Amino acid sequence: MKPIGFFMTAPPLRTFRTAPRGQGEAEMPASYLGTALTAEGFLDTDGDIHIHGRVFGRVCADRLVLGSGGYLEGDVVARDVHIGGRLTGRIFALNVTLDSSADVTGRIFHHEVTVIKGARVDARMPWRPPSYFESLEQLPEPRQ
Amino acid sequence: MSIFTRDDKAHDTNLDQAARPRENPPVSAPPVAKPPQAIAQPLSKPAAPPVPGVSVISKALKITGQLESTEDIRIDGEVDGDVRGVSVTVGSGAKVKGTVYGNAVELSGTIDGKIEAEKVVLTSTARMSGDVVHQDIRIESGAFIDGCCRPGFGKNADKSAHPASRPVATPIRT
Repeated sequence: MKPIGFFMTAPPLRTFRTAPRGQGEAEMPASYLGTALTAEGFLDTDGDIHIHGRVFGRVCADRLVLGSGGYLEGDVVARDVHIGGRLTGRIFALNVTLDSSADVTGRIFHHEVTVIKGARVDARMPWRPPSYFESLEQLPEPRQ
Repeated sequence: MSIFTRDDKAHDTNLDQAARPRENPPVSAPPVAKPPQAIAQPLSKPAAPPVPGVSVISKALKITGQLESTEDIRIDGEVDGDVRGVSVTVGSGAKVKGTVYGNAVELSGTIDGKIEAEKVVLTSTARMSGDVVHQDIRIESGAFIDGCCRPGFGKNADKSAHPASRPVATPIRT
């Protein structure tokens, strides 16, 4: 993985809530990264993020959707993760769905995982209890 | 009766019990199992973006790093880094710390850095700290600028070091 500029220090990890959003709470507007967009760095949001372009770096969100043409290289921290594109890196999420067009290389730390027929998965999938994600303050060092 | 000529009617009338199961498919066949995909389909499908190439950085999103696009970008959140797009709109409440390059830049929020664009619009809620390099600028009353406006966009395109001279959003890797 290409290091993100050395001058850039990682902001503290924005942890997600393990409980789904309540009825009364305001819906955070979703962000769309279009097919033409390339983002490098750290993306942090309390709401949803839809990635259809390319992202190199860490993404923290409540819900992340990687579109079928999207490419993500880096770590994902979210409550729900829906992968339809290509991902190289690690996922830390309670619920993970790998769509039929998914192509994942890396590690998937999950509580519940769904893999739809057709997905290409070259990854370890360690199961973790919800308390693991609640107490996740720093991502573990990537292992080879 | 030749064995090569089918005569179903003859079989039916003859009530040939031994031949029946071969003629008709077994009635008690187990129901065809649904493919697993059909079971997994009810999962919520991602909603398609309004326009596929256009990007929206919502107010809940904070980006530390660079953004490059060959299409339009709308920023309502916070970006700590450079933004490069065709038409970049920085909404009110948005914050950009870095340089914004583009053909057209419309600022209603805050930029702490620089704008380099052909057409620049600073609306009444704009707050600009830094220089504006432009060819065509419109400033509405109420906009705040702390910096200088230079009509030099594209003039020093021969300088290879000039970031705006290189094509917008060169794909880094494929």
